[in-house]
Parts: sequence; C-alpha cells; structure tokens
Amino acid sequence: MSELWQGKLEKIDDYRWRIPKSYRPGMRVPGIIYADEGLLKDIRQDKALEQVANVAFLPGIVGASLAMPDIHWGYGFAIGGVAATDIEEGGVVSPGGVGYDINCGVRLIQTNLRYEDIKDKIEAFTRALFNDIPAGVGSKGDIRVSPREEREILVKGAGWAVEKGYGTDDDLECTEERGAIAGADPDAVSDRAYERGKAQAGTLGSGNHFLEIQAIEQLYDRDACDALGLDLGQITVMIHSGSRGLGYQVCDEYVRGMVHCLDKYKINVPDRQLACAPVNSAEGRAYLAAMKCAANYAWANRQCLMYLVRKSFERVLGEPWERMGMRLIYDVAHNIAKLEKYTVGGKEKLLCVHRKGATRAFGPGHPAFPERYRKIGQPVIIPGDMGRNSYLLVGTQRAMDETFGSTCHGAGRVKSRTQAARSVNANALLKELESKGIIVKASGRGTIAEEAPQAYKDVNDVVSVVHNAGISKRVCRMRPLGVIKG
Amino acid sequence: MAHQFHPPVKNYEIIEHTADLALRVNSKDLAGLFRNTALALFKISAKKKPSVKGLKKETLPVMQKADTLDELFISWLNELLSLSSAKGLVFTDFRIIRIGEKEIEAFAVGEDAGGFGLDKEIKAATYHGLKLKNSAEGWQAEVILDV
Repeated sequence: MSELWQGKLEKIDDYRWRIPKSYRPGMRVPGIIYADEGLLKDIRQDKALEQVANVAFLPGIVGASLAMPDIHWGYGFAIGGVAATDIEEGGVVSPGGVGYDINCGVRLIQTNLRYEDIKDKIEAFTRALFNDIPAGVGSKGDIRVSPREEREILVKGAGWAVEKGYGTDDDLECTEERGAIAGADPDAVSDRAYERGKAQAGTLGSGNHFLEIQAIEQLYDRDACDALGLDLGQITVMIHSGSRGLGYQVCDEYVRGMVHCLDKYKINVPDRQLACAPVNSAEGRAYLAAMKCAANYAWANRQCLMYLVRKSFERVLGEPWERMGMRLIYDVAHNIAKLEKYTVGGKEKLLCVHRKGATRAFGPGHPAFPERYRKIGQPVIIPGDMGRNSYLLVGTQRAMDETFGSTCHGAGRVKSRTQAARSVNANALLKELESKGIIVKASGRGTIAEEAPQAYKDVNDVVSVVHNAGISKRVCRMRPLGVIKG
Repeated sequence: MAHQFHPPVKNYEIIEHTADLALRVNSKDLAGLFRNTALALFKISAKKKPSVKGLKKETLPVMQKADTLDELFISWLNELLSLSSAKGLVFTDFRIIRIGEKEIEAFAVGEDAGGFGLDKEIKAATYHGLKLKNSAEGWQAEVILDV
C-alpha cells in the first residue's frame, strides 16, 4: 500500500517544511512538518504527508495542520499530528484526532538508586516487574473495581487511585491535569465500555506499551537537571500505557456516530476516519465528556502501574519506596484533545487542540504545571525503542507560539509490523540486546520482533529536530537496562 | 498442519502499513467477505494453545444496522472486537443468517480466551483506506486495523 509521496513540499528552514494550502482544494490551512532532510526521506515513504493535508480540511482549523518529526502513517490523522480548531468559528473535534487508545501516555519515575549500586540486580528487578505487572493482550489486573468505583475512576482519574492508597498527592501534582481532566461525564460512556474497562485497571496492555528501567547517561541542561534532582548514572523507571479497552470502545462508538455528523453539519473531509462534529454541538460535547472519562481512566491506570512498580522495587531491595526516592517526575498524555487558550491573530482564542501522538510541551511560567517546574518549563517524556534511548525534555515558549504547546511523542515507526516480524529474529535480537546490557521480557515473542529497534526511527534524530527547531529543549538522555513488553 | 484450530482461511493476505495492519480479503459473495474478514481478524490476534482441550464455547447473536455497506462492514468488525474483549472470548466461527447492504444478522461462536495465546491486540477496524469492491470474480475488501 505504500508508495513515495509526490506532493508539494516547500522548505521553510532546516527543520520546517510546508505543504502549501494550494496543494489541494479544500485545505483551509497549510501543513507544517517538523523534520530534517534525513527524517523527511522516511516520512515521504508512506501516506503520512497526505494525512497532514487531509487534516487541513477540518472546519475551524487555525494556523496549520502540524506534524512532528516522529510522524508516520496512521488512520485519519497521521501519528505525530497536531491540529487546533477555533471553537467560536465552528471548530470541530474529531475522535480520529485522538485515536482509539485515548490518553495513551507516559510517566517517568526517578529514584535515588545509582546504576553502579544495582547493576547486578537488573535481572532481578526486571523479573520482579514482569511477574508483578499484568501485561499482554486483554490482560486483567489484581486491582478489581466495582461498577460504582469504575464510575468514580472516570471522574477522579489518578485521584481515585491515590484515595485507595495507590499513590500520594505529590504524584497527582506531577501529572498532567493532576490526573483528572474536568468535565468527564460517566453517563456519556456506554455499558459495553464499562464492561471492557472493569478488569483492566493496573494493566500494561500490549503492542508498543512497555515498562522500562533506565539509567541517565547524558546530561544536556545542568540547571534543569539540578532543578529536577537528576544526575548521571541515576536510575529512572518509565511507564507507557493508556486507557485500554475502555478507550477503544469510546472512540469506536463516537466515530460511528460522528460519521453521520458529516452530512448533518455539511462537513467536507477527505477521509471518513476524520469524522467530526463542532465542539459546540450535542455530539461534540458528548464525545469530549466521554473522551475525558477514558483519559481519566488512563491516568488512574498509570498511577496503579506506578504503585505496582514501587511495590516490586520494595520486594527486590527490601526497602520502602520512599527511601529509594521513587518520586514521579511527570506524566503526560500523547493521544488527547484539550481545550486551551492561545493568541491567534492578536486575539486570545479558546481552541480544541488535538494531539495524536504528540506531547504537550508548555513553556516556562505556565500555570498548568507545578510551581517547582515553572522556571524550566513542563517536563516532556520521550520514549525511544527498546534498544536505543529515551529522553527527558522541557517545553518552551516557542512551542507555545508555533505548535500550540506541542512536541513529538516518541521515535515513530519506520517499518511495518509485518516487515519487522519478517526481518527480525526475536531470539537473536534478545541476545544482541543482552550483549548491550539490556534485558527484555515480553508476553509474546511476536511483540519483540515487531517492536525491534530496526522498526523505529532513531529517537536521537527525532529529538534533535524538536530541540534544534526550539519547540522543546533536551534535559537528559536515558539508556534502557530492563524492559517489560506487553 | 498438525494443529488447525480455526476453519481454513485462504482468502486473506496482510498488506504493508507502517504503523498498523492492513488486510486484503476475497470472497465469492458478501456473506463470505464478512465472514472471512472476521475469521482473519481473530486468526491474526489469537492462537489456540495446543495443550488446551474442552474450552467453554459460547454462541452470541450479532446484529448490526448501518446507512451504507462501508459502515456496516466496519461496525460488524468493531462489534466483534468489542464483544470478544468484553466477554473474554475468541471467535472461531461465524454463521451469517441474513445480510444486505445495510443490515447483518449472524451468530458468532466464541471460545474462552484463556485457552489462547493472544499475541496481537487489534484495537479497531478503521475507515481509512477502506475499499469494498464487487466484480465478476466476487467481493474484495481492503481494511486498515489499528493495532
């Protein structure tokens, strides 16, 4: 299905490219792609750029249809896409601009453990995490909730988990939206979605979801590292998961409904997966109320997973997690739609910002994140593949000015799962990773080959673009030591 | 084949898609197209564990209505994925009672998911790139799945 994209692309500078509005009749704004020459070669290999142009058709879209350097072909929106619509001007919300795994996101936990002190225990830590964290397709967790509690989770998000003793108020302080976005309406979620969600709290899921023990190997911004309490050789833990079956169900039902809104509101989009409705319509409001429920469920899920990680570490080292300094650095969503205020054409506007495989990256001084980070900017967590690196970045004012406070979300795929599975031998890969000091444990062999480093762009290249373009700033780089895959 | 746990499915192939999974499915008639695609979906996501025998089976009615054939096709697949996840079943056969361009009535035969190795989670079937074609040779579908 893939072929080289032949559309029109204009170079703005070394890190920015434009698909002009004139590329296709119906585009309301241009497309802007953040990439360098090297990444662009891969990006042109599939239909991701056509999808950037498709998103430019959305009613009310302002500025540009944006793409981050980790962009790749998705369905509807490209993965790595950002689009903001002006609510007052009939701006729409599109469930396809959020995706099925609503609030798929990542959290980063610091510890006061040092690589030198625990290097002989990485295998034990990894094994303990693999045994303690339910992972894999359809996995069910030990954290069981009643139907009444499930409704509470959808409103209180990570706050529900903290009330149950699965975390602290400080964890909430360091979570986007304090782990619960306001306006969630449990009545906007179907019985089937509840049914799918009831057994999955505290489960990792499968595919590209993972949990990783890491060591900081490079500092880029000494002041920011000092502010965050981070140093070379320090151990961190990263969790990547989302809203599981509950989120898929919400997205499916609202895409199904919004396909009919295209006629009802006379909306012209080139792909039905971009089905949408005005934010200020019954359908738009209902979707956002349901999407927020799924987002809150995902924050509760990652909070429960963090609780399980802390317990696991306690068992291995025989010390309470507090003594190991297992504090949450930050938790960010990368599949979400948010109502945020920006200055557009000299006027302050309330926009519906879709981030589909993109991370919020608010600059210094913004009141949306904790006081302790105000000077440095919002922490942004960028997971890489299992064989390379992950990054901690911070948001910038330039992101506020150019990308609706958004940046990349990961490495981005470059090879299809089938190509990867064909060309990678899982056992050989595991051996190769082990020789680099990386232990991988996965529920299925298939996942290992499909998620092999060769299937992804080099996250170092992706981060280099967002750093050089100024839409976020490198703080430090981690290398993987132990990886749990779903 | 030593362990053939699903009814034979010869009429589908996996086609390349960077992030997700795309399928091309053929059948001589519309009922066969819906059935073959559904079978392919579960064959890709689950493999029965060879040691497991006598799994609990459950047959569920599935009815879907839509305004167009494309919508019906996507709704059928997503309803099956949703039912499978909610009920903890892997569907291994489908009996289509009635099908038109806007309506399908069928039974899905499921087995306890505990007896399967589940190595690929299919989140949904999507409209992006969806093609349903009817020609002298029969029906063909191309569909992209979010995995």
